[in-house]
This record gives sequence, C-alpha cells and structure tokens, in this order.
Amino acid sequence: MIYSIKILWLLLKTQIRSQTQYRLSFLADVFTTAIFSSIYFLAFALILQRFETVAGWTLGEIAFLVGMTETSFAFMDLLFSGFDPDSFSPMVRMGSLDQFMVRPVSLTIQVLGSRLILRRMGRVLEGLAVLAFGIVTTQPDWTWLKTFYLPVVLVCQVICMGSIFMMGSTITFWTVERIEAVNILTYGGNELMSYPMNIYPRWLLFIFTYFVPFIFVNFYPTLYFLDKPDPLNFPVFAPFLTPLVAIGMALAAYWFWGYGLRHYQSTGT
Amino acid sequence: MQAFLKIVGISARQQMTYRTALVAGLFTNLFFGILRASLLIALYQGETSVNGMDVGGAITYVALSQAMIAYLTIFGNTEMGRTVSDGSIASDLIKPVHFILLWLGRDLGRSLVNFVVRGLFFIGLFSLFYSLYYPLEIGRWFLFFVSLIFSWLLNFFWRMLVNLGAFWSPDIQGFARLAFGFSQLFSGFVLPLRLLPDWFSRLSNWTPFPGMMNHPMEVYLGIYSPSQLLGAFGHQLIWLFILVFLCLALFRLGIRRLVIQGG
Repeated sequence: MIYSIKILWLLLKTQIRSQTQYRLSFLADVFTTAIFSSIYFLAFALILQRFETVAGWTLGEIAFLVGMTETSFAFMDLLFSGFDPDSFSPMVRMGSLDQFMVRPVSLTIQVLGSRLILRRMGRVLEGLAVLAFGIVTTQPDWTWLKTFYLPVVLVCQVICMGSIFMMGSTITFWTVERIEAVNILTYGGNELMSYPMNIYPRWLLFIFTYFVPFIFVNFYPTLYFLDKPDPLNFPVFAPFLTPLVAIGMALAAYWFWGYGLRHYQSTGT
Repeated sequence: MQAFLKIVGISARQQMTYRTALVAGLFTNLFFGILRASLLIALYQGETSVNGMDVGGAITYVALSQAMIAYLTIFGNTEMGRTVSDGSIASDLIKPVHFILLWLGRDLGRSLVNFVVRGLFFIGLFSLFYSLYYPLEIGRWFLFFVSLIFSWLLNFFWRMLVNLGAFWSPDIQGFARLAFGFSQLFSGFVLPLRLLPDWFSRLSNWTPFPGMMNHPMEVYLGIYSPSQLLGAFGHQLIWLFILVFLCLALFRLGIRRLVIQGG
C-alpha cells in the first residue's frame, strides 16, 4: 500500500514537473481555464438581473450549489485525468494498457499516474471562488456539524464523479471507442447538480433519485447547509445520505473495473 | 467547383461513417437541452413575457440552439491548427483548391450531415417533450434559412481565424478554448441574449457573435420588427466581409512564415 502510494506520487511528480517547465505558459493556461469555466455561471448571474430568483433561490444560494459541484468536479477531473474516457480509450486502442499489465504495480495506480492535466487547477480555483461568493452572500448559520460535514460532502462528490469516470472508462474495454453518452453522467451530472433539482421533470428526478442518486450528492446537502425547506418532502435524513451514495458508487465502480479487467482482450496493436 | 463538391461529398460520407457517434451526440444534446429548458421554465415561473420573449419562445430558442450545435460547430475545434503544428498542412497546400475553400468544403459536408441527423432529428425528439413554435408564414422560414446560412459562414470564418493563429504559435489550444468560450457567451448560445441585461446585448452587438446564433433564432421566432430584421442581416453581412478579409489577409501573412520540417 505504502509502496503503491510512493509510486503514484513519483508518477505524478514527473507529470507536474514536465507541465510546469514553461512557467508563464502554464500559468496562462491555468488562468484561461479559470476564465473559460466561469462563463456559464457568469451568464447565469446576468440572466438573474432580469428574473431575480429561480425556484425561490437567490444568486448567492445558486452560487453555493454551483461552487460545490464545480470545485469537486474539477478536482476529480484533475485527479482522475488518467481515467478520463478521452485519454483512456486511446490507451485501449493503441495497446499501451498491455504494457502497464506486465509491470509489477497495481494497474489502477498506473492509470491514475499516467496523466494529470494540471491546467484543470484553473477550474478548481474558479469553483472555490464561486463557492466563496456563495458562502459570503448567503451567510449560512454554521454549526459544528455543518462545518464538519462540508468537507465530507466535497470528498464524497469527488468519489461519486470519479466512480462514474472509472465506469465510463471500463466500458471502453468492450467498445474500444469512447462512448460519448457517458458525458451525460459526467459533464451532464455536474450541470444537473448546479441548479435546484426540483426544477427538472419528474421522470428525470426519478432517475437521478433511484438509479443514479445524484440528488443526494449536492442538492440535499446544500438544502441542509443553507437551512432551506425541502420542496420534495424527503425524510429529514436525506442530506446525510451523501457518504452512503459515495460508498455505493465507489464499490460499484471498483467491482465493474475489476470485472472489465478480467474480461479484457487486447486489441492486438 | 467540381473539386469543391467532391470534397463536400467525401467529408459528408466520412461523417456518416460514425453512426454510433452521431446517435450518442444526439442523445447528449437532448439531455442538455432538457436541462436548459427546465432552467428557463423555472426562471419564467409566472411571468408571461420578458423583454418580448415568452416561455414558449424561450423553449423553442433552446431547442433550436441545441439542434444547431453540431451544424454550426458552436464549441469550435482546432483541427486546421493542428495540421499546421504537425506538418500535414503540406499535403493540403498542394491541392488544386484554395486552402480556405478546401476547409470550407470539409466543414460543409460534415455540417450538412449534422444538420439532418443532429438538427432535424433532434427537433423531432425534443418536440416529444416540449411543445415548440413553428412559423406559419413561408416568408419567415425563408428568412430563417438565409440567416442560418450566414450564421454558418460566420461560424466557419471565426473558427478559421482562431485556427490561423497556429501559424504564429505552436500551441493554440488555450487561446482557442477562450476564444470559443467567448463566442458561445456573446452569440447567445449559453442563454438567449434578449434575456440578459440590455447593456450586455448592446455590447455583444459590437462583436460578430450574435450573427452566429442569436439572429437566426430571433428571425425564426419572429421577434424582430422589419427594421430590426434589416439590421440583423446587415450585421451578419458586414461581419462576414470583415472576417473573410481578415482570414485571407492572415493566411497570406502566415503562409510566408510557415516552415514544414521534413521527415
């Protein structure tokens, strides 16, 4: 275990070093990523000048929702760069995954260490800025439990979305090509969780409550942090289901990844 | 001309080959379309009309703009820029068609396929979920299609302009991402310009971007008065001239700097 972590750190360190060689270019890349990522929130802030609230949520409250999911999605996107179906599918196609398999280190560690897109730091910073804006404008009533629970929720979100990334990549063992429909759950999931979820059609809510329980990942915890009434009348423990969902999704991803590996057949390249 | 049509045909066939990708793209567009429509419906809540656009109009706007994502390549790409960095541009330069026309043909073929598969099919699917507006006058359909052709050209030349930057910089990815981000916002793709504050839509009218998305959508919805209609087409035409001129000029300058490594 300690050996694996050491290897992972070594792999990541080489990535970091190579990407920060041209410091100015790197900083510019981080900066443009931050600006680019903020465009959608900016547009939303502008449209609220005409409408003022959406489903009873103010700009600051939406900023809290957006800030949470942006931060954790961006951090996940950074950490799980290797599992990004966009880069994982070429690994399957070109057979570079076969090289990983003959090495005496866990495959998961090697895939994680194979890529770290550092410019995605820009999006993490943007998410944190939006979250900070949300916290400052809404002034939530911080209890001990809330202060403790906030980082827990963020970590759980990273795990949930990372699991989806891993499952999306596992599918490429069979399909070879990346499946664009996985974007519905990754980028789409991030977008979905950026707004109060009771605005969506019932059938969509049903899917994201019982099949892919994204509703407990961001919407319910935020209701709890901001002391907002629950428009859907779920039991009071609903905001605290986040860790359970995270564990469930992580286990599913872990099992599916293992299953995929056992059935992996090289493309022969 | 014949060579040009050939390029269009080949590119269309190429695009048709990836059928699963087309269908996957269609469903991704559909999912995001539903999210965007839900947000606008929630925003309207009780309001009948905001700055000349009602809920039905806003939903139709979302439907059309989602349907046109692939046809207009609204998220941009750096395909041409990459041929400069990897040198494969050399084989394009010896073709008996002007370089920009060559790419225009490639884009056109792909866009025509996307117009049908990810455009018309999308509208069909989306109308199962939401009721959309359809203009009843033939004239408005005609104006819409003319405006849509202009918006396609504007999108193409904007993309070309960004990609021409590759003659000067070895890596345009970051710059291109930002450039295409701005065009998404100022074109009214992210949210309809009419629903954003007035100062913002006035500002965007000083850029070529509203002509890439917002104008055809509002022509379709019939929101423009005759004089505004004239203004919208004038805006598209003027910017088209400017962008074409800039592309040709930059191409001539850039091609002189181009060095292709042998190998």
